[in-house]
Amino acid sequence: MERRNFIKTAILGGLAGAVNLNGNNLFAAGKMSVSASNDLVAVMGGEPREMYKKGIAAMGGISKYVKKGQKVVIKPNIGWDKRPEFAANTNPDLIAEIVKDCFIAGASEVTVFDHTCDEWQSCYRNSGIESAAKAEGAKMAFAHDEKYYKRVTLPNGVRLKEVLIHEAIIDCDVWINVPVLKNHGGARMTIAMKNFMGIVWDRRFWHANDLQQCIADCATYTKMPVLNIVDAYRIMTQNGPKGKSIEDVQTPKALFISADIVAVDTAAVRFFNQFRQMTLEEVSHIGIAEKMKVGTTDIDKLKVERIRIG
Amino acid sequence: MNYKILKRARILLSLVFLVTITAAFIFFVSRETSLFSLFLKIQFVPSLLGIFSGGALVFVLLMLMTLLFGRVYCSTLCPLGVFQDIVSNFTNRFRSKKNRKYSFKRANNSIRYTILAITGVSLIAGITLPLVYLDPYSNWGKISNEIISRSEQLIHNGLSDIFPQTIFYRSYAFFALGSFLFALLFMLIVIIFSAFRGRLYCNTICPVGAFLGLTSKLSLFKPVIDKSKCNRCSLCVTKCKSECIDLETRTIDESRCVACFNCMQVCSKSGISYKFTFKSKNDKTQEGEKRESDIESGERRRALIAMGLMGTALAAKAINLGPVFKSAPKITGIAPPGALSIEHLKKNCTACHACIAACPNNIIHPASGEYGIDGILLPVLSFNHHFCSFECNECSKVCPNDALKPLSIEDKQLAQIGEAQFYLEKCIVHTDGTDCGACDEHCPTKAITMVPYGDTALYIPSLNTELCIGCGGCEYICPAIPDKAMVIHALAVHGRAERPTLDKQEKIKVDDFGF
Repeated sequence: MERRNFIKTAILGGLAGAVNLNGNNLFAAGKMSVSASNDLVAVMGGEPREMYKKGIAAMGGISKYVKKGQKVVIKPNIGWDKRPEFAANTNPDLIAEIVKDCFIAGASEVTVFDHTCDEWQSCYRNSGIESAAKAEGAKMAFAHDEKYYKRVTLPNGVRLKEVLIHEAIIDCDVWINVPVLKNHGGARMTIAMKNFMGIVWDRRFWHANDLQQCIADCATYTKMPVLNIVDAYRIMTQNGPKGKSIEDVQTPKALFISADIVAVDTAAVRFFNQFRQMTLEEVSHIGIAEKMKVGTTDIDKLKVERIRIG
Repeated sequence: MNYKILKRARILLSLVFLVTITAAFIFFVSRETSLFSLFLKIQFVPSLLGIFSGGALVFVLLMLMTLLFGRVYCSTLCPLGVFQDIVSNFTNRFRSKKNRKYSFKRANNSIRYTILAITGVSLIAGITLPLVYLDPYSNWGKISNEIISRSEQLIHNGLSDIFPQTIFYRSYAFFALGSFLFALLFMLIVIIFSAFRGRLYCNTICPVGAFLGLTSKLSLFKPVIDKSKCNRCSLCVTKCKSECIDLETRTIDESRCVACFNCMQVCSKSGISYKFTFKSKNDKTQEGEKRESDIESGERRRALIAMGLMGTALAAKAINLGPVFKSAPKITGIAPPGALSIEHLKKNCTACHACIAACPNNIIHPASGEYGIDGILLPVLSFNHHFCSFECNECSKVCPNDALKPLSIEDKQLAQIGEAQFYLEKCIVHTDGTDCGACDEHCPTKAITMVPYGDTALYIPSLNTELCIGCGGCEYICPAIPDKAMVIHALAVHGRAERPTLDKQEKIKVDDFGF
């Protein structure tokens, strides 16, 4: 039954994709998550918590990624001293819902942190992430001093061969990467791979040694996130990554989930392209990472589920 | 009057001030609480310098208090004074009873009035330099910041090793050796003075003490020895930390008395008490008192001169008289937001370092030579380890003097404290041919934007200085070695940046995922 359903979905989904329709419009909502083995899930039209719930279900549920008793790290983007509506940081509601879900899956502890650009306490506070994460029982880890980082070698790195990575990532069992979708003056886009700049201490080195290559190099780290969840509830389409005003923000209410970091970045760029022209080639770290076998940009070949809410 | 209660109240109040003022320097005022920083404003020099911007009330109250009861400030509100009392008290515990005793000493008038005159004249000329080195509150600030706060940091970080998840590591603040040594030396001098001679600093060097001492000559109530009750037991003399009770003439030098009430409380005959002493000339007819009143009128003259100096200083401040001399015009120091200009900073800052303690990013440092020799120890910005937060105005809020004008966040976000300059030949995009954009990433006003670079697929920073506020984000993060491609140059007079453009964009509605 499940297999038949899956095949049906796949065929109809493929047809729908060809005529630029979405499969979910053709099915009743209850039949949405027919397969628990999607490679990539895209959700649109709901509130952050709701989109996450639908999305993670389509990915097979959080228990597929987080096992009982595990120490989990959730790594949002908390780079800037900006309130949630400025879209400079990951949505706090989304983070809260993921924390909650990890505990439901039996996580022994959930830690949230980012190596911020602006002053860290203001970032933690004003992003709304500290209070949201703590309300669900997570710990906020400190990341403002070199003492919290440990040296890791990246044998496959081209320019970045050694890096200081935050101890929470090193000590945890699994980690989940939760970036926000933004344009970026230097890297063109900042999504999932670029979010690794917040797990390392010395970002300046990356900027000085071929930023795009370093972003890809860091994605060769052996301990990759089990999931990449791209927050596109609000996205920053100009003046990123810090942004100037609320004018820089569009609110498409979307979410992308994949274990493949290259695939999720590819999907996010193609989504972003609808708001402002952005080719995959421009965001060159994505192509470099694919060449380095981190993941695939060929998302049309992946099993993708598209979910629309409302 | 029950002087025991009065003394206890004085001690209690003085401890409150010492603790809160010190706490303001230890705990980042912006984070834990802003309560402590209020106490910085209830100080003599800050209220004097900030008289036209909210300090007037405190200044008038302090003057009234002095004109009524003498140097109450010195014993009750001044943190350095209270610190000296603690040192005297502490060292006395290691002495035999006999050695604990103070004795009457002559006043070092030539030294203290010379220092006062220099300080007063400098102030009229718009120079706060003598106060930078001698003001008791400001120096207590430096001691709190350089010595007490750094010690607290060691303890704090020790605790953060024990409780790594609940107590954050306090990254070590910038260390300016000169400022640290000055604070240490100053503290040692004061400790030695107070360990051996009580309030010697207050009555010999401190310009505030000298001024309030002269003002006390005019006060309505003075401590007076009742000659009919006194049996010259000298108990009061041995307890007088100002060493100002002369039993031979049975007089108290009120210019040195810090109103600590020790003598009144200790006298078993109740022989010393506050007396209303505003005498008219007719009262002094007796021959024996002739000489005494001559001395007194001499001292009153001095007091009036001091008041005159103060009045002139205030008038000079009111008409905003510029500094009479200026050091070399070369300026490399970036003054904190709210400073208006380096000149304004020099005219109003006494280097208490409250702004340095308040800065959550640790980017305000004591100046060495950045402002010239008359600006040593004043606060100056450095972007080596961080930059000025766009959403923060703590330094301007905490300044108790008028040196940093309080800025609203909106004003702060337009206050140009420096101006960025872009050196293309140093830029990574130019030298390495790779993407960077670190400066653009950090620029809060988008004075920096990334524009296509020639025929390459790269983007290079483009700088619009009209929008730049000199926050230093670009300079701090610029990865170019050894010279940065983005450098903030100081502005002698702070400017006002253009308001950042809104960059309105059409709100796009999409129904598709794009893939």
